[in-house]
Amino acid sequence: MASSRPTEGTHFIAHKGTFRLFGLTLGDCIKFFFGGNAVVSVVVLALITIFLFREGAGFFGENRENLEVYRQAGLEYVDYIRTQQDDHTALTRYLSDLRVRQVNYLTQQKKLSLAAANAALAGFDTFADQYGDAVEPIRTLVSDLTEQATAIKEKFTVTEDRKTQRAQLLAAGQTEAAAKIETVPIDFVAELKPILGTLPAYREAAAEFSRRLNAVIATAPAMPEPALQARLERFKELNAEYLAGFPSVLRNLESWDFRAPVPASRAFTSFLFGHEWRTASFWQDWYGVIPLLVGSIMVSVVALVLAVPLGVGAAVYVNQIASPFEQRLIKPSIEFISAIPSVVLGFFGIAVLGQLLRALSQVPGLAWVPGFPYAERLNILTAGCLLAFIAVPTIFTLAEDALNNVPRAFTEASFALGATRLQTVVKIIVPASLSGIISAVLLGLGRVIGETMVVLLCAGNRIAIPDFTAGLAVITQPVHTMTGIIAQEMGEVVQGSIHYRALFMVGLVLFFLSLGINYVAQGIVRRYRISIG
Amino acid sequence: MSTECHIFQARPSALRRREGLVFFCFRAATYFVLLCGALIFGTIVFKGAGSVFQVRAPFLNTTFLTEAPESLHVFEFHGQKMELGDGDYRVFQARHPDVARVKSESYIYSAGGIFPCIVGTVLLVLGSMAIALILGVSAAIYLNEYARDGRFIRFVRLAILNLAGVPSIVFGLFGFGMFVIFFGWNVSLLAGWFTLAFMVLPVVITASEESLKAVPRGFREGSLALGATKWQTIRKNVLPYALPGILTSSILGIARVAGETAPIMFTAAYVVRDKLPWQVDKFSEFFFQGVMALPYHIYVVSSKIPQNEYTERVQYGTAFVFLLIVALIATASIVLRSRLRNRYQW
Repeated sequence: MASSRPTEGTHFIAHKGTFRLFGLTLGDCIKFFFGGNAVVSVVVLALITIFLFREGAGFFGENRENLEVYRQAGLEYVDYIRTQQDDHTALTRYLSDLRVRQVNYLTQQKKLSLAAANAALAGFDTFADQYGDAVEPIRTLVSDLTEQATAIKEKFTVTEDRKTQRAQLLAAGQTEAAAKIETVPIDFVAELKPILGTLPAYREAAAEFSRRLNAVIATAPAMPEPALQARLERFKELNAEYLAGFPSVLRNLESWDFRAPVPASRAFTSFLFGHEWRTASFWQDWYGVIPLLVGSIMVSVVALVLAVPLGVGAAVYVNQIASPFEQRLIKPSIEFISAIPSVVLGFFGIAVLGQLLRALSQVPGLAWVPGFPYAERLNILTAGCLLAFIAVPTIFTLAEDALNNVPRAFTEASFALGATRLQTVVKIIVPASLSGIISAVLLGLGRVIGETMVVLLCAGNRIAIPDFTAGLAVITQPVHTMTGIIAQEMGEVVQGSIHYRALFMVGLVLFFLSLGINYVAQGIVRRYRISIG
Repeated sequence: MSTECHIFQARPSALRRREGLVFFCFRAATYFVLLCGALIFGTIVFKGAGSVFQVRAPFLNTTFLTEAPESLHVFEFHGQKMELGDGDYRVFQARHPDVARVKSESYIYSAGGIFPCIVGTVLLVLGSMAIALILGVSAAIYLNEYARDGRFIRFVRLAILNLAGVPSIVFGLFGFGMFVIFFGWNVSLLAGWFTLAFMVLPVVITASEESLKAVPRGFREGSLALGATKWQTIRKNVLPYALPGILTSSILGIARVAGETAPIMFTAAYVVRDKLPWQVDKFSEFFFQGVMALPYHIYVVSSKIPQNEYTERVQYGTAFVFLLIVALIATASIVLRSRLRNRYQW
């Protein structure tokens, strides 16, 4: 391209540089104006990073404080015992599951009435009740300790609040008012003494607990069927493992020291690898991104499993097989589908698709499908289906472009060698455009992971890692996603609080995740582009 | 080889049967997608048309389109089932004092109309597209007319590509952090405009560059050869031919701006607001007020109120109006583009 500015020192007849602003000609000014606008996208990208960090970075400091209080107020100590209690609850759930199976067996195989089945299970019920009640000594201890630890934490929070209040008053110059606010530093040693003093009581309670469990387990009634008997044996094993874990709990309690510093990395790892996202809880708030990340990934996987065959199949059909008339009809229609707003799709999911899929799952003939029938209307499957619908146009358009870029000569050479159309498509055209198709799928993934409204409305919004032991049936469970949690909780949090900053951190994770997907997609296109010619 | 068969005629074989089967699957996939689209569209049109159109003249439910959302009161009065909006209910209560004793159920947002939401969405789209078009077209002119290929330009292009992949909720967070909090604009039209404009910027830049590329080189060279400056060339000989293309392609960006909910959730949208946007004391306040918007309203009515026969009307009606607006924009873009392709041939 020819430069519009004559080089220095030469004088052209048609030289027009008469008007100058700060030594720049008008042409230069215009050029810089346009150039400045081109830089905007770089600036915006940088600003996004900066502002997400600006609001989110404070999270780690506050989270560390949060974890320090957790330790110093003795909550950690209590949680060791509480975990023991929770594990026992999990075992009792196993027993009630076993009871349901027995009832099913008795009513369906043995054709007993429900009342008769319940009567036959009286022995089992006594056993299960006794097993459940055995935890009583531990439960009493935990509830006492919970009250004490919460009281310490409460005191600490009040003191902290007063400190900030005083700091604010001092900053405002009101020294007298500030002096009136008393802050008593908390003496954790004294406060924790009653909690630590319960160690002998715990020893006794744990011993009593295990004695009771051993006594109860010996009275386990025999099961009516070998398969159920195997489950009972498994339960006995689990119980033995559980009892074997008691000494290590005791060791944890004995060696527990509230003065042990919380390493700075804990604030980081408890976010990135934390298995719990619990906010506004009376006990302890946890900000772990894993349940949300898993939710996002599960929903996206379901969406892609549905969208990739449909999108790529449609692209191959339109590009290779369809008549020109069909092409003119289908391409704009799919483009049109991509314009349907996601919130409308989300509404459709709530109003129609959720019920429809649930009704479908309750059709008796479909009971063999994993997870069917299910009761929860909004779950991974509902959200995944709608997200697939969002991903299909993206995948279709980009994959169709990629197929279009395959040189004609490739196709013609294949036909000339006597290949059928199917052989040409499968062995020549798709492999030649594979890089484009893969990047189309990745960009579809990026679109799906970043989608907000559909998952917010249709994914069920239960913050927990789905139960993967259910196998494929996991897709009928509700989840919460990263995009969903930001949209849902951002409007309610206090500005500047740790929860607020945690949401910005989730946004940052999402931002880098989408940049990463984009980067990989572009890399694949660049690296494996076929040399044409 | 049988004699009645021409040698080039396709003979049935296992290969051919398989081909037919596989191609049938591809065709089924394509039409399945279209069918799903038609089903979704059909359901919302079928159920939503009832709250927008009516059998009697003027055939259009003017209340729904021109009034603000109200609560709906449902009660039984002297054996008659009454459904009244908030305003009518108060009038009715004044006339029949004994109605206070009748138990009434109320559903928020289920009566009245969605006029403020339509206005808000139009304002958001107009403002953000104005910003995005100025920024995007200028950037495209620089990239296509001035810039020479180099490291810097590749970096800019990479940034545009990456910006296109950023999730919309992240734009929402960014807009909240920067415009709402750091600049102190609060939840306002201005914050929503900039957030949406930045989100749609990559679409506009890509569309504009394509249109600029379609103008033949000869146009520029002829103008330059006649002694015109670079800017004169662009203004007189490039932009007039590229502008229709730029505008039509950008309409698709409009559809995206109108359809997004996540970016305006914390930057521009109010759940409910009594005043209309032009009811402000000072002109400057116009830019610093939040508005109601159609997509956010759909989110609110579909997640925050129960689903039953009374709330269904407003839910489907809003979705229908919104879908209609977005569909019109998208259709306009698709039709105009194919027309334009046929008009300019060089």
